[in-house]
Amino acid sequence: MNNSLLTNFILLMMFLSIKISAQISPGELTSFHANLEGLSNCTKCHELGKQVLNSKCLDCHSEIKILISNNNGYHSSPEVKSKDCWSCHSEHHGRNFRIINFSKDNFNHSKTGFALTGSHQKAKCEDCHQSKFISDAKIKKRKNTFLGLNKECISCHEDYHKGSLGRNCDGCHNTEKFNQVRNFDHDKTSFKLTGEHLNVDCSKCHPVEIKNGTRQTRFKGLSFSNCSPCHNDVHKGSLGKDCKSCHITKSFKIINQNTFDHSKTRFPLIGKHNSVKCNDCHKGSVSNKPLFSKCIDCHQDFHKGDFVKDNFVTDCRHCHNESDFSPSLFTIDQHNKSKFLLDGAHLAIPCISCHKKENQWKFRFASFDCQSCHQNVHGNELTEKFFPGNNCQSCHSSSSWRTISFDHSGTEFELLGKHKSVECRSCHYKTETDNRRKFKFVSLKSDCIECHKDIHFSQFDDNGKTDCRKCHSFENWKPEKFDHNKTRFSLEGAHSKLDCSKCHPSELKNGNTFIKYKLDDFKCAACHSQRL
Amino acid sequence: MNKTLHRIYVGLFFLIGITVTILLAVNGYSYYSTSVEERFFHPQHNLIKPSGSLGHGFGIVGSLMMILGVSIYMIRKRSRRLFNLGYLKHWLELHIFLCTVGPILVLYHTAFKFGGIVSVSFWSMVLVVISGVAGRFIYIQIPRTIQGRELDITELMKLRNEMSDRLSSEIIFDKSLMDEFSILTSPERYKDFNLLNSIGFFVKDAIRIRKFKRRLISHMRKAGISKFRFKELKRLVEAEIILTRRIGLLRTMQKFFRYWHIAHLPFAIIMFIIMIVHIIVTIIFGYKWIF
Repeated sequence: MNNSLLTNFILLMMFLSIKISAQISPGELTSFHANLEGLSNCTKCHELGKQVLNSKCLDCHSEIKILISNNNGYHSSPEVKSKDCWSCHSEHHGRNFRIINFSKDNFNHSKTGFALTGSHQKAKCEDCHQSKFISDAKIKKRKNTFLGLNKECISCHEDYHKGSLGRNCDGCHNTEKFNQVRNFDHDKTSFKLTGEHLNVDCSKCHPVEIKNGTRQTRFKGLSFSNCSPCHNDVHKGSLGKDCKSCHITKSFKIINQNTFDHSKTRFPLIGKHNSVKCNDCHKGSVSNKPLFSKCIDCHQDFHKGDFVKDNFVTDCRHCHNESDFSPSLFTIDQHNKSKFLLDGAHLAIPCISCHKKENQWKFRFASFDCQSCHQNVHGNELTEKFFPGNNCQSCHSSSSWRTISFDHSGTEFELLGKHKSVECRSCHYKTETDNRRKFKFVSLKSDCIECHKDIHFSQFDDNGKTDCRKCHSFENWKPEKFDHNKTRFSLEGAHSKLDCSKCHPSELKNGNTFIKYKLDDFKCAACHSQRL
Repeated sequence: MNKTLHRIYVGLFFLIGITVTILLAVNGYSYYSTSVEERFFHPQHNLIKPSGSLGHGFGIVGSLMMILGVSIYMIRKRSRRLFNLGYLKHWLELHIFLCTVGPILVLYHTAFKFGGIVSVSFWSMVLVVISGVAGRFIYIQIPRTIQGRELDITELMKLRNEMSDRLSSEIIFDKSLMDEFSILTSPERYKDFNLLNSIGFFVKDAIRIRKFKRRLISHMRKAGISKFRFKELKRLVEAEIILTRRIGLLRTMQKFFRYWHIAHLPFAIIMFIIMIVHIIVTIIFGYKWIF
């Protein structure tokens, strides 16, 4: 081998090696890192003996370092944080190498700590990733950067509320639609929404105001101590300011029955009305205002017009009050203004005795005959003469049935003697053969034995009829009219002094013991022989 | 090593070389055919990139093979003590194997990305390989003893005359065929050969020899020569023509071979120097493969 030629060749190659020593790099850096080309810059990224350390990368990329230390952004997600920077952002693959291999379509935005939901899913990257939304001045200058945004809604969205509701939009809004505050829980405010308030559009209560030249919906500072800031007081203040004392939020037409003070109305609730359900009077809805001038505006006329006919009374309250329908307040004086004057025993009897003879009350009678109420216990025993027009008062008075004012002299049997002092019923109230007692008037004959017992056992019958009055008067039972001398045996002599029983002994005949007055044998021996 | 064992020896090298080349090509075709700027996103990147677990291995194994291939051949060739340790031809074949497969592995290690200082090493390696191939061609143009010693012109002429005598006793050519064979076996016809017309010369010569062989075959068939004899005669004719060519080109080839050494070794040295720099830099920066 030609050694001089070989030496020259090696020297040439060594020279060339020095010329290209700058190209010890395994490949060109990307345009982003082009300034780091060159042998002297290797250790700016490489750590001798340790390849490429993340700390070297983050020394330059301080914005990423800050994000990671703040546990914020894509690079702080557990999946990314655990990786070496170069595993995603490799180098030495040429100037045009995509050192950030970012696919808009496949990027999992949730790894940034800001998951795309709702309308954010439909937004284009550049809708949010604009320099105008970036606050950091250095990052703001970069083109096509995805850094620099923060998670606050107002970093991209205009604060419609101009800071009046703080910075936490998530508290009310979600990402579906701004004008639907689905995250907002009104119950967590000082004004819990109940009833119809749940269905009311926000703007009904939260007015739009012009503030500093912009339209803003007022959410804070609304007065809600009472309802009047939003609702008109249809009562014009007459019922005070506390609507809630009567109304509930379910509906204005629904009254809070527990708190409503009916006394503030023209119809204070008294007595039984306090325990009546509202809808019993306010049919359908409490907002329905029933008539209340008359009781029958609400109440059924139990008496079916009996009282109001002829304007005897104009309203129930003449007889009843709210305490109860019973007892009636109808007074005797009022009754006495009716066509039937109460007197005597009628004053003492309960109303039902006359007015509730049957199942229902009856206050209007076709006639005022006693028999309208009273049973005619005499049946047919009274003739028209003594019971004219079926008028009991021809004999009875209202004081008592027992008080009779009857002129017996008008009858065939004038009361004389002892009969004057005898109770009527002694003669007229008889026990029938069937042991039933019955008044007897027309069927009562004037014969004494109709009432009196014939203790002589028909000894004095004359044609089958005994006329007591031949011997007796009405004064007593002594036979004052009897004249022994007009009999077939005149009393003379010692006979006139004898006791009657000497000649008229008691006799037992057919089981009856009686004194035998009518003797058959007038011979002396008929009486005297026996004593001889 | 007998002839069969030698065939297995060489065949095994060939098989390994081809298999490694094909397997690695098939395995990494998708990656290697991807542009450099897109390779990072290729699923095989971490495996067969130059610093990948497999790619880095290619470089290390390939380099070791080259170091081994060069060093053992140089030691065997230059050390008198090892003069009897196998035939130099076989060591050369091992050197060729290791220094062919090694660069192939290094080629896959580069992932066909050629840049920076290390590319000087790579291209040096390529030149060494190419020059090696050329050297191998020149080498075989110079007839040697089995121990690798070059035969001088006298020995060669004696060999050719023996061969010519044998042929003339074996075969009877017609006149035109005999005239052509005489031209083909005349070393004087290589006088005009030089580096510039070498390719054209070889192409024309190859065509001429091919035509002659066709006429010869036709002639022998007409003469009714047995199949075995036919093959033997054909081999003898080819051997004499080749021997004549080697005699005719002997001085030229010996000159080429000297020049070849000037190219082959310095490129190898450059390759190794830069390769060592490359390895040192790699280790300094912490890329230690599996270690």
